[in-house]
Amino acid sequence: MEYSNPEIPEGINTSKGHPLKEFFWLTSGVLVSIFAAIFLLVVFVDALTSYIPFSVEKEIPLPEFEIGTTAGPLPEYLQSLTDRIVEAQSLPDEMKITVHYVDDGTVNAFATLAGHVFLFRGLLEKLQNENALVMLIAHEVAHVKHRHPIKSLGRGLIAGLALSVISTTAGDAVISNFLGEAGYLTILKYSREMESESDETAIKTLQSIYGHLAGAEDLFKAFQDETEGLEPPEFFSTHPLTDDRIAAIRNSVAGEYAQDNQVTALPNEFKTWLVSDDK
Amino acid sequence: MIDLIIFLSLLALGYGFGRHAENRHYASIIKREKKLRALPAIAAKTPTELSKPNDSCLVVGSVVISVDYFKRFISVLRNLVGGRVTSYESLVDRARREAVLRMKEQAKAMGADLIFNTKFETAGIHQGNGNQIGSVEVLAYGTAIIPAQQN
Repeated sequence: MEYSNPEIPEGINTSKGHPLKEFFWLTSGVLVSIFAAIFLLVVFVDALTSYIPFSVEKEIPLPEFEIGTTAGPLPEYLQSLTDRIVEAQSLPDEMKITVHYVDDGTVNAFATLAGHVFLFRGLLEKLQNENALVMLIAHEVAHVKHRHPIKSLGRGLIAGLALSVISTTAGDAVISNFLGEAGYLTILKYSREMESESDETAIKTLQSIYGHLAGAEDLFKAFQDETEGLEPPEFFSTHPLTDDRIAAIRNSVAGEYAQDNQVTALPNEFKTWLVSDDK
Repeated sequence: MIDLIIFLSLLALGYGFGRHAENRHYASIIKREKKLRALPAIAAKTPTELSKPNDSCLVVGSVVISVDYFKRFISVLRNLVGGRVTSYESLVDRARREAVLRMKEQAKAMGADLIFNTKFETAGIHQGNGNQIGSVEVLAYGTAIIPAQQN
């Protein structure tokens, strides 16, 4: 038998190629798949949440509302307006809208799960006529009508849970961004498409209640005063830009839009209600 | 965000130190292998007819090498998609060659000129549950032939 002692070539038992290159391909591949999965999940959730009955939505335990009241002349007036809007939007019987008046200077209003709508004093003070107020409430009621709260909740939860696979804190951040501060289900974030959809419905409501759209712009002008021209570019903001929303009103029913239509005045006591509640 | 930052720093640390250690280890392995080339370690179960044994002795070389965070992360991703776990290939290669070298160094100290019946044992060492960063142990052992002194 012949024996020899050959020199073994280097690197025959390992793979060539830079480890960072492999790292890059693996990580980007896995990340792309995770985001594709999140996207798919969100699409599924969006499609499926419409099938959650409103009665089930009502059973979602909400934290006790620490803000807002439903009793008193102003909340009762707001509720009566809302009932007219609910009728105009022909909401199903089980979709009951509860209006909460919040005695706070914040210029805000929002709709949340189970048909709860919150209106802040800061915003109501800026409204000069009933039409603008109806536009505002109709917009919030439209959120409920289109099931935006439950859709937004589902979207936020599923995206947050899926993201926690990569990073727990990033997942938490997404969830709390959708659910509002400290896990409160009261301030859900809606996408721009949802806001536009609600605007559209609100415009139709206004049209069917008053027969014209005068005063609708005043609502957005109230917001415009608040932002004082410092409105961030559309990309950074979930709400459509105010100018775009005003343009949408003008375009939506172009023929029927008329400047000279008379707006309906707010009740005389409206200002008094706002002030007296302040004390 | 903080957990992502911790994770990325661990990854960077694992990559930096791991790569540095691996390059240094390979340089040392190649150098020592050249030095010990005259002392072959063969797998044959019986010594060659050429050897004139005076004495024989069991020689053993063992090494434990730890996986770094970066290699482990790549292997975790590999678990998802399949394929060659290249990050572990170099690790096990280093461990095997280092074990043989240590065995040869022991044999050389005894004045041996051949090691036959060379065998390997491998073991994975985990700290706690199997999910932790583990280490690999490679044990090489064989029979060293110490030739008769030629006076």
